[in-house]
Amino acid sequence: MSNTIDEDLLKRIIKQVLVESGVKTTDKPISFKDDKGSATATAGGTPTGTQTAEDRSTLDHAVPEEKLDWFKHVGVAKQGFSQDEVVIAVAPAFAEVLTKNMTGLAHKDILRQLVAGIEEEGLKARIIKVYRTSDVSFCAAEGDKLSGSGIAIGIQSKGTTVIHQKDQDPLSNLELFPQAPVLTLDTYRQIGKNAAQYAKSMSPSPVPTVNDQMARVAYQAISALLHIKETKQVVVGKPAEEIEVNFD
Amino acid sequence: MSEIDDLVAKVASQLGAQVNQSSSSSNTDTDNTSSLPSKELDASDYPLYKKHPDLVKSASGEDLKDITFDNVLNNKIGPKDLRIAPNTLRMQGQIAKNAGRAAIQRNMQRAAELTKIPDARLLEMYGALRPYRSTKQELLDIADELLNKYNAKVCSNWFKEAADNYETRKKLKGDN
Amino acid sequence: MKRQKRFEMLEKRPIHQDGFVKEWPSEGLVAMMGPNDPKPSIKIENGVVTELDGKKREDFDLIDSYIAEYGIVLDNAEKVMAMDSTKIANMLVDPNVSRKDVIKVTLSLTPAKAEEVISKLNFGEMIMAVQKMRARRTPATQAHVTNVRDNPVLIAADAADAAQRGFPELETTTAVARYAPFNAISLLVGAQTGRPGVLSQCSVEEATELNLGMKGFTAYAETISVYGTDQVFTDGDDTPWSKGFLASCYASRGLKMRFTSGSGSEVMMGYTEGKSMLYLESRCIFITKASGVQGLQNGGVSCIGIPGAVPSGIRSVLGENLLCMMMDIECASGCDQSFSHSDMRRTERMIGQFVAGTDYISSGYSSTPNYDNTFAGSNTDAYDYDDYYIMERDLAVNGGIHPVNEQDIIKIRSKAAHAIQAVFDQLGLPKITDEEVEAATYANSSKDMPDRNMVEDMKAAQELLDRGITAIDIVKALNDSDFKDVAQAVLNLQKQKVCGDFLQTSSIFDKNWNIISAVNNPNDYQGPGTGYRLQNDKDEWERIKDVPFAMDPGHMQF
Repeated sequence: MSNTIDEDLLKRIIKQVLVESGVKTTDKPISFKDDKGSATATAGGTPTGTQTAEDRSTLDHAVPEEKLDWFKHVGVAKQGFSQDEVVIAVAPAFAEVLTKNMTGLAHKDILRQLVAGIEEEGLKARIIKVYRTSDVSFCAAEGDKLSGSGIAIGIQSKGTTVIHQKDQDPLSNLELFPQAPVLTLDTYRQIGKNAAQYAKSMSPSPVPTVNDQMARVAYQAISALLHIKETKQVVVGKPAEEIEVNFD
Repeated sequence: MSEIDDLVAKVASQLGAQVNQSSSSSNTDTDNTSSLPSKELDASDYPLYKKHPDLVKSASGEDLKDITFDNVLNNKIGPKDLRIAPNTLRMQGQIAKNAGRAAIQRNMQRAAELTKIPDARLLEMYGALRPYRSTKQELLDIADELLNKYNAKVCSNWFKEAADNYETRKKLKGDN
Repeated sequence: MKRQKRFEMLEKRPIHQDGFVKEWPSEGLVAMMGPNDPKPSIKIENGVVTELDGKKREDFDLIDSYIAEYGIVLDNAEKVMAMDSTKIANMLVDPNVSRKDVIKVTLSLTPAKAEEVISKLNFGEMIMAVQKMRARRTPATQAHVTNVRDNPVLIAADAADAAQRGFPELETTTAVARYAPFNAISLLVGAQTGRPGVLSQCSVEEATELNLGMKGFTAYAETISVYGTDQVFTDGDDTPWSKGFLASCYASRGLKMRFTSGSGSEVMMGYTEGKSMLYLESRCIFITKASGVQGLQNGGVSCIGIPGAVPSGIRSVLGENLLCMMMDIECASGCDQSFSHSDMRRTERMIGQFVAGTDYISSGYSSTPNYDNTFAGSNTDAYDYDDYYIMERDLAVNGGIHPVNEQDIIKIRSKAAHAIQAVFDQLGLPKITDEEVEAATYANSSKDMPDRNMVEDMKAAQELLDRGITAIDIVKALNDSDFKDVAQAVLNLQKQKVCGDFLQTSSIFDKNWNIISAVNNPNDYQGPGTGYRLQNDKDEWERIKDVPFAMDPGHMQF
């Protein structure tokens, strides 16, 4: 079985993600004293228990969105009529609740690359935030209905991305990138570029599929946790909002 | 140019679908439940291919024995002759039930009713039943169409039942 | 902390790259019998279910309503529900109780009761029960045939290769959705070249998949997903009623079909209602039964990492396979996703299904190196073939495939590649060169293939649909280019769709198009001396024994 990914790197990343999502790894000096009657010592010393319980509670319910300078809400997203726009539809927790994808790429950098890819083709990117669903395809399907070109990119906080066209069934797609762990900033730029080419009625070569068969094994559990968190931010019936971004 | 080709192909295929539809509805032989064997079939009658090839006709009315390589090559057998007939599904339903699987028979009954519906329309009906696609009235209209146009009683009720359930559980158009 | 050296070594072992999570019942991260799972119950008034697993009729969600209406044999239900779950579990294991007698009881259970029954069994007992409860007497397995470039020549060659190894069902999917028609016809032609009677499918979006079947490019469908909570079902873009209707659509075109479910999907999609994985999976199995669908692919499937991450998860996954069989449904039992970095744990993943035997032990086994597996990798891949054959030989178990001879494989790959080349040529599709045929014949993976113009291929693939091409055109194309036997096999498959025999539970064909299903090959296991025995299946046992790399003492020079 060919395993192309650097395993040490992978391991570091997993550790990092686990730490970020509150599953702490032991990294404290061991005490040789607390052999008996250690109730008080463990309360302060062990990493699981109370700490985890507290962190779990933030995954149990929706949290308020953080106000960001670079990611501003400017009202309900409107129908676009301009043929030269591609909509980027981000999922409910994107940027304002979660800030990084599964492998630690900042949402801001991801968005910057998607936009750059679209602009490279001479088109405009319009960003909306979807609230009705946390599903990547349905996010994109909401986006492409608003998109003047009928093309939208859907993206979840964990990084999963899809390019979708208006007349397709929601769960169909032009290109799907289901394995977030293998996506790099370059890939995101390529995705933006291809989406723009579809909007121009061109037929781009699909962004090459990188297949890392072990990524799912390493990331499935963490992916589930991130998605649960995203799903808590879903608001049934709430229309998508227009987002103004400023990357400077 | 390719757009024109596409258009031509589309129109041609739509015409084809209509031709199929009229030919299959004119041929009532394969959908006449009275032509089913008088005794219900069971596991001992299975497989039909080996044990009762005489009972099997295609939806267009061709005998199974006439579906041959030569007939395909000389165009006596075309795609429409390679479709399962409603009565074949009913016979398979009997076999399933008598082998202890009554639920499968219910599916076969619905399927038997759907054999007449052209591919494109069938795909549309399925689409209409997906969540948030249809209003209650739209689902009831399809139920009427199933009953009146295709004599599909079980499937018609299926759509009515879905319409009621979608209403209470908020899966109709605009509920999301 | 000063590290203990043995711990440091252990941390470097592959198992440490797998993901493990502590149980978290409120978000469904618990394998079975979670604290929020309902207590089993049923109330029936005038033939109508008025209470199901602690819920009143007025509180039913879509899934409850559907199961209550169609999913339970009510005649016997109140009596069966009063039985002790341990006693029912005992019947599952006891070889003296026939499969038939068990089914009479289990078809009247509710989802929560069925879960409770499974929870009484340990892993060894589950293996015993699966051996008896799978629907078809003869076990089998299924293969994935894909590559990351969606190269049609390679798909055809790999399909023929897999068919010769004994897989009766082949499944493909696409890296890029618009390639689907090419992948489907390449798989069809390759499969019928490799071994007539092999069934093929192309897993894509539901409506597209049905469309491919209607055109005769596929024989069956499998990835028709169902889910255990209303919200996840909706996110899967269906309801029980739309999926039930879709099932009937497939049957109305003579196409075999099974649903897909599996533990962990509701966790992955974020809506578990705080219920355990096995309880939600139990609901999926009941939805399948209610729809009158003959089969189900389950056992974690693409979400296997989730049950795999929690305690007792892999036991629970064999339990959900068993639950499917208890409902008298064909079971394609998972083992189809990259599961672990540890070879030891990969073996653990499939050992229950492998030893007991299921309708399809894997669904599927990657017939290519995992590098090319666009289902994101399978638990076993082409590089595991020889290990797998030896496991079958060591334990005298029919795992569904057998060793092959290199020359035979080269010949059949070449034939399949030439056949698809001819079909492309006759149908006016982008040219397949002789160089590509040669490369596909000897290829290990898509890295060995020359590049194709993917944009041109995708365009032609879409046009193939618009032009109204069907399987009949493929039959003619094969005939006109002197692949008469393959043409005949493709036509035979269409003929079987007219006949419908393979719509019955657990159907596969042998090379002479004889049907082997739960109707004419029902599992009759009742202890030693009964049921399927590899040693009595003499031809297959000879093939499994005959590994090409075993020493032959009769032909050795000393």
